Amino acid sequence: MKTDSAVVKDAVTSKKVAPDKLLLKVEDVSMRFGVLAVLKRVSFSVPKGNILVIIGPNGAGKSTLLKLISGLLSLQEGEIWFKQHRLSKIPPHRISSLGITQLLQDVQLFSSMSVIENIMVGCHLRTRAGFLSAGLKLPQAQADEQRILKRAMSKLSLVGLEQKAWGNPVGLSWGQQKLVGLARALATGSDLLLLDEPYSGLLADEIDKLNQLILQLQRQGMTILIVEHLTDVLMGIGNQVIVLDYGEKIAEGTPDEIQRNKRVIDAYLGSG
Amino acid sequence: MNAFREISSKISAVKLQNRVIALFALVMMTIPLGIGPYPISAMVDVGLYSIVTIGIILLMGFAGQISIGHAAFFGIGAYTSAILTTHYQFSPWLALFLGAALSGGIAAAIGRAMFRLHGLMLAGITLALNLVFYHLVCSMIGLTGGAMGLINIPPLILGGLNFSRSFLTYYMVWIIAIVILGFSLNLANSQVGRTLRSMNTHAGGSEDAAQVLGINVNSYKVQILVLSAVYASIAGSIYAHHARVVEPGTFFIPFSVMVVIMAVLGGLRSPWGAFLGAGLMIGVREFLWEVMPVFVTGVTGAYELIAYGVILILALLFLPRGLISLFGRAFTKRRATV
Repeated sequence: MKTDSAVVKDAVTSKKVAPDKLLLKVEDVSMRFGVLAVLKRVSFSVPKGNILVIIGPNGAGKSTLLKLISGLLSLQEGEIWFKQHRLSKIPPHRISSLGITQLLQDVQLFSSMSVIENIMVGCHLRTRAGFLSAGLKLPQAQADEQRILKRAMSKLSLVGLEQKAWGNPVGLSWGQQKLVGLARALATGSDLLLLDEPYSGLLADEIDKLNQLILQLQRQGMTILIVEHLTDVLMGIGNQVIVLDYGEKIAEGTPDEIQRNKRVIDAYLGSG
Repeated sequence: MNAFREISSKISAVKLQNRVIALFALVMMTIPLGIGPYPISAMVDVGLYSIVTIGIILLMGFAGQISIGHAAFFGIGAYTSAILTTHYQFSPWLALFLGAALSGGIAAAIGRAMFRLHGLMLAGITLALNLVFYHLVCSMIGLTGGAMGLINIPPLILGGLNFSRSFLTYYMVWIIAIVILGFSLNLANSQVGRTLRSMNTHAGGSEDAAQVLGINVNSYKVQILVLSAVYASIAGSIYAHHARVVEPGTFFIPFSVMVVIMAVLGGLRSPWGAFLGAGLMIGVREFLWEVMPVFVTGVTGAYELIAYGVILILALLFLPRGLISLFGRAFTKRRATV
């Protein structure tokens, strides 16, 4: 990563992070929608295998930040680096092929397809068959179909919904839809998973299940960036927490440090 | 156990689909044996319109892109064939392939230029393309014959079979239509089909969701536009060699609107819908051409357009998913296939 690694420290250990251990680095990113400054010179970095939690009240700029990383919004100011790649001006599909995927806040499952087909779409980067080989049903296209069906089923099993494979996602509960969205994102095989408010609208047992899944993914080596406003849920899961307020990073540290940070308490968590 | 049951059900669905195609082919191949020359000629029209409409279904129903200018691609095929064979003595088959390549190239060029823009841009651009094509053909008199068109276009000939006769043209058109149907069904049921549906914002898709999964949405939009343009061009070339004459009025906006109505009427969810939409519309056209002069003396003009409009309104009100929705899963069920 072509960045100044000397200033990068692990939020948990406070030790310097070697450049090859860094997965994502966000440098002085600012964003405006018209006259409204949504993000103001936000910087942070995420070492491989970490769970970074970004919290902040509604309108703090959290979702905007994720969309800048995934490429759904174009960078106006600052730089974002992923592995050796500078992400500015790279379209979202290419960012995905570099190893970043996102679970959108409203999931956006494809309602014209079954659950398993949704997840098979997530395997897109693992297919090679184009229009001609698919239309002619050449052996390569058939092999692709078999392979991605198997992969999609394994991701669906991971989230415990294999029984719902052939149903329509519209018939699922909100929590189940989020899990299908997660399985679809995992099917891409990305190294960095961006989760935009994954807990919103979930019941208590669904939150527990999602937490277990996220920790399991981390144990498998995945790096996860979660944006959320439900702070209680996240304090136990993140290695590293960043607090945004009105587009500004007001704190960064371990969950314990954040909970003791006076500025955070004043701005967001409250004294209660 | 459930997974095994589902997979075997999927295999059955694929087998069922293949059997339905085979049965359909058998029926279509026997039809000419029992009908006269005039109905055969109408059935040639159904086949040609179906080829164009399958492309529209893939473009609109799967990728969610609206075109009201496919008459231009149909016309590019027809005029490429007509010009190359009458002015330059090209082989009709070579002219057909060159027409398809030219249509595909033009579709790729306009697709790449405009898919950076969003919304109904394709509808507007294809409409403009149709207008430009029409006026170009009318004005380039030396090459196209202008408003009078071109005549004496040679027929397609294959292995001694001269396809100027409707009977033989019928078989050629329907064999090509069924091959294109099979190709399109394979496409629809593949990862390409799912990818197209994932970005169709008019039918439960999301471009954002597709893009974060690594899908190059613009590239797929261009590719499906090219494929639909190639289908239209092939149909246009066959039309030119069958009719032996081309004139600009055939390739104007009413044709473009007609194939969209056929697609909507037949059903945008499956390539099968093309045959239902084209069959019904051509049937209505033939019926009106036969019946109207009996009841209304001296009737002229494209009065069948009124009936098409009424049919479209009725279809949108009572069969929003098209005639195909009346049929079973063999036609409409899309599943992962192994």
